[in-house]
Amino acid sequence: MSRRLLGACLSIGVVVAGLTSIVVSGQSNAVNLADGTSKGEWPYYSGDVRGSRFSPLEQINASNFNKLEVAWRFKTDNLGTRPEYKLEGTPLMVKGVIYTTAGSRRAVVALDARTGEQLWVFNAIREGMRAGGAPRQLSGRGVSYWTDNKGDDRIIYVTTGYRLVALNAKNGQPIPAFGRDGIVDMKLGATFGRGQQIDLESGEIGLHSTPTIVGDVALVGSSFKEGMTIKTHNNTKGMVRAYDVRTGKVLWQFNTIAKPGEVGGDTWEQESWASNGNTGVWAHITVDQEAGIAYLPVETPSSDFYGGHRPGDNLFAESLVAVDLKTGVRKWHFQFIHHGIWDHDMSSAPMLVDIVVDGKPIKAVACPSKQGWLYMFDRISGKPIWPMPETPVPQSDVPGEKAAKTQPIPSKPPAYARTFVKIPDDVIDFTPALRAEGLNILKRYRTDQSPYVPYILGDINGLLGSVNIGNTGGGTNWPGAGLDPETKVAYLPASNSGVSVGSLVEGPPGYSDIKYLAGMKGTEFRLRDGPGFGSAADAPRTEANAAIAGAGLPAPPALNVQGMSIVKPPYGVLAAIDLNKGDLMWQVPHGDTPDVVRNHPLLKGMNIPKTGQNGAVGLVITRTLVVMGDPQVTTPPGRARGAMLRAYDKKSGAEVGAVYLPAQQSGSPMTYLLDGKQYIVVAVSGGNYSGEYIAFRLPE
Amino acid sequence: MKLRVIFGGLAIIWLASVSGSALQAKQAAAPGAAKSVWDGVFTKEQADRGAEAFKTACSECHGNDLAGDGFAPALSGSDFMGNWNDLSVGDLFERIRISMPPSGPSAVTPAQKADIVAHIMNFNKFPAGTTELEPKTEVLKAIKIEMKK
Repeated sequence: MSRRLLGACLSIGVVVAGLTSIVVSGQSNAVNLADGTSKGEWPYYSGDVRGSRFSPLEQINASNFNKLEVAWRFKTDNLGTRPEYKLEGTPLMVKGVIYTTAGSRRAVVALDARTGEQLWVFNAIREGMRAGGAPRQLSGRGVSYWTDNKGDDRIIYVTTGYRLVALNAKNGQPIPAFGRDGIVDMKLGATFGRGQQIDLESGEIGLHSTPTIVGDVALVGSSFKEGMTIKTHNNTKGMVRAYDVRTGKVLWQFNTIAKPGEVGGDTWEQESWASNGNTGVWAHITVDQEAGIAYLPVETPSSDFYGGHRPGDNLFAESLVAVDLKTGVRKWHFQFIHHGIWDHDMSSAPMLVDIVVDGKPIKAVACPSKQGWLYMFDRISGKPIWPMPETPVPQSDVPGEKAAKTQPIPSKPPAYARTFVKIPDDVIDFTPALRAEGLNILKRYRTDQSPYVPYILGDINGLLGSVNIGNTGGGTNWPGAGLDPETKVAYLPASNSGVSVGSLVEGPPGYSDIKYLAGMKGTEFRLRDGPGFGSAADAPRTEANAAIAGAGLPAPPALNVQGMSIVKPPYGVLAAIDLNKGDLMWQVPHGDTPDVVRNHPLLKGMNIPKTGQNGAVGLVITRTLVVMGDPQVTTPPGRARGAMLRAYDKKSGAEVGAVYLPAQQSGSPMTYLLDGKQYIVVAVSGGNYSGEYIAFRLPE
Repeated sequence: MKLRVIFGGLAIIWLASVSGSALQAKQAAAPGAAKSVWDGVFTKEQADRGAEAFKTACSECHGNDLAGDGFAPALSGSDFMGNWNDLSVGDLFERIRISMPPSGPSAVTPAQKADIVAHIMNFNKFPAGTTELEPKTEVLKAIKIEMKK
């Protein structure tokens, strides 16, 4: 080749190479949310819009997990008027920046994902009473991300006072073109009764979960106070709304309480649709973008434990509702609990996965639950993959209550956590004496050998209450579960000893329009509030909680045996389910044995296998590991008091590594890759340890 | 011979009693010496006052039976001990002082909060004694919370 030709070729080569590099770098700056975590980012609360909590990263693995070091930490104490002790966020990582909420004012922070250095903070919205009285306080579960891939990158989140805010992701400033100066007042359009607008200050509605961003749409749910001792069943009505991410305009609204004439309208007898509310969607909404379907996880209706003011099945409470992404019109639904009186809710994101069952490909949706079952459906048609027969369940003897005669119970996959307390098999059995004591204690309770035992009118001098497990606090609660979309295996954390005592008592005259509230005859009647209530930065002082009735009467006895759980271990588990086959692959205890068991004088000298811990914790799944931290603090020999972040082998459930956390995990972990290094970030808080995000990375 | 033994024995007993009372005197003189919740660090009267204050200020979330409600943590039993074992009463008091009740920590005085801590100690079956818990974090930091092993 002549020198001139060679020179020309080389020049062209350089130009081509230059053009190629421009194109490549342009692509690497683009963020396609539909790609989820495939490029090592974490752009959604659950990694992707399908709820998988999965990232294909594999730099951190079984051989090096124990070598993880703390790369950086971010303490949240001063993002509000006092430190927060319930930090529940899963941060996002996009283009080298961590975005999350933190602190008692629910500030939004952006951090350098390599170092944790604070880049900006947004906490300028002062909401006063609106936040102070809000049903979902503290920092919530995080933020959402949107980009037009032309330089407009936004952080979208919901404030304590239920405002939708769009911030410039580069500097944390509100986007002027969104709503009014970056803010949409979502209390507008929230109603109670027969369409009455709620008061913008004191009306009850809020949210912890993050908006689901898909395309240019943000899907936002709704959440309310816990319904244990509420003043009225005519509460704000639940709904889901779709907003245009650019402008903040409402695109559609799905109302979760069916009205007369609508599908499900006949499940609110005696016009109770008009005088009941709640039925919100407080867990994360997931989306099948191809099919154009959004999956809404709906919670309990007003008054968690007494349904006398809402006879009927109460659609779409405690249901999965599949709606058209463009219009919000219902496509199909499935109700997990008819006429719910246990506070089961749909407590976590419905997970989307494509599987093959008996040779047939199915686009599926899999729903973890407090009840301990994974409910699986064809997500296009709504047909259960394996039968869920309506099964007779115990009936209620509370006046005015009409419990559902049957509830659907999956035939497959098998339960992955306890669904009721089996007597005697589930009762504590470290020693024969403890077993005998447990059985004796249980004689004072209603203990039908079935899930879904209705509450009773408990009496301190008689039967104290009904025994259930997995309602209110556990099996799988708000942190949800995850799955590996490549191997089609779901990984499910679950409490396994969340035993509840269900007792109702007639409310004091004039206190509430609900006839029976959580309480027990012969004990003091006191208000029972929910998580973090009253702890927002601007929360007003409440009046002293004087006994509303029965002052001086004793408190009901706690249900435990010598300070230990009435049920035997495992107290908390991590389970794996093969989604193609509907089989339980393994189930292992998760978490160190609690101190009270390890140090118990009655168990001296005994070698008790690891018991796991009760508590709601979430996970992150990588190519080879499931990573999850302990829900409790322990002080075993050999390490400082604290908790452990554990790694499990996905095939066997064997624990392959664990690193120290100074406090219990309180937010679900996430993972990302940056500059060739993989990080794991997790929120810890509780007890005397205020909220902190901790990032781990392998040593240099 | 017998007399010498008797004298020796008496001497030993006398020495023991002298050093014993000297020790006691030392302890009385230095109340900040290392203590734990097993040493009788509150009084029954203080715990009773604390029980009343607890009902008004704390039971709404933590339950009259201190069992929590699945959201507010338990203040007795396994979960409580897990959270506070090996920390000090001062750590518990400070946490309550600055952040409880969430709606307005200054609505309850530090003295009342010390009483409430006494109630929690009493409820968890730690022994009562003859001195009250002082509402001072730095003083209470000297008292260790530990499960009896």
